[in-house]
Amino acid sequence: MEKKMIQKFKWFWAWNDEKEEAWLGQMASEGWHLKGLGLPGSYIFESGAPRRDVYRLDYINNRSDYQNYLQLFKDAGWEHIGVMGGWQYFRKAMQGDLVPEIYSDNASKAQKYQRVLIFLVILLPALTMFVVRPATEASSLFDLYSILKTIMGFFLIFYVYAMLRIFRRILQLQKK
Amino acid sequence: MAQEKDIRKFLPLSEATSYILLALNEPLHGYAVMQKIDKLSEGTVSVGPGTLYGAFTTLERDGLITKVGDEERRKIFKLTPFGRQVLKAQIRRLDILVRQAQSTGD
Repeated sequence: MEKKMIQKFKWFWAWNDEKEEAWLGQMASEGWHLKGLGLPGSYIFESGAPRRDVYRLDYINNRSDYQNYLQLFKDAGWEHIGVMGGWQYFRKAMQGDLVPEIYSDNASKAQKYQRVLIFLVILLPALTMFVVRPATEASSLFDLYSILKTIMGFFLIFYVYAMLRIFRRILQLQKK
Repeated sequence: MAQEKDIRKFLPLSEATSYILLALNEPLHGYAVMQKIDKLSEGTVSVGPGTLYGAFTTLERDGLITKVGDEERRKIFKLTPFGRQVLKAQIRRLDILVRQAQSTGD
């Protein structure tokens, strides 16, 4: 059978990454297997026989120990498909009815979201500074800088919202 | 000897962490730890690679385990004397729990 490729665009929210995992598993059951990742939100699938695969996303941004990290997952039977903005995409075949997991308890799973949150916190001051910095000259509402600032302002609001959602996810996992 | 309060800071250990420390009684790399835990726990506990990687990072930082070697991109860790004390303190707690549960006759 000749293999076909398709590209799909999809966005996901960090606090909802389990939905993303489920979607990739669903695609696999329909015979579309994740082949690679492109720009943020871009997925390349390859056609094949339907499979019962489990997809899991991890988040790390530690470059110095990356090879050790990948080796551990590989040894444990997880195939590393690619990276998208710090998100690591892994795949493993279902064994019977047992769903394999990369995180075997909620405490360690919470730490994954903590890493996402820390990354967002680090970027927050730069973003805030851009929005609150006063314009150098008296500017009309329609000049480019003001428009840019307004856009960034909305982005900032959303950014803080995202942080709160991730924070809530951490609390949920810690309570379980 | 480490101070009692230093040890207590790490208690209670999670089930996964307890088994990781127990497995590292001998020097092992990550996947060997996972396999050993399957065996030691008689199949009741299985530790995923994400959980194990995170545990290695924090346990090494806190001085409970230490890296003793490298083997083709696999770090080999071993329990430190301090790690052994923490594990002992955890086992003591569990021992009390088990003994009490058995004496209530259930």
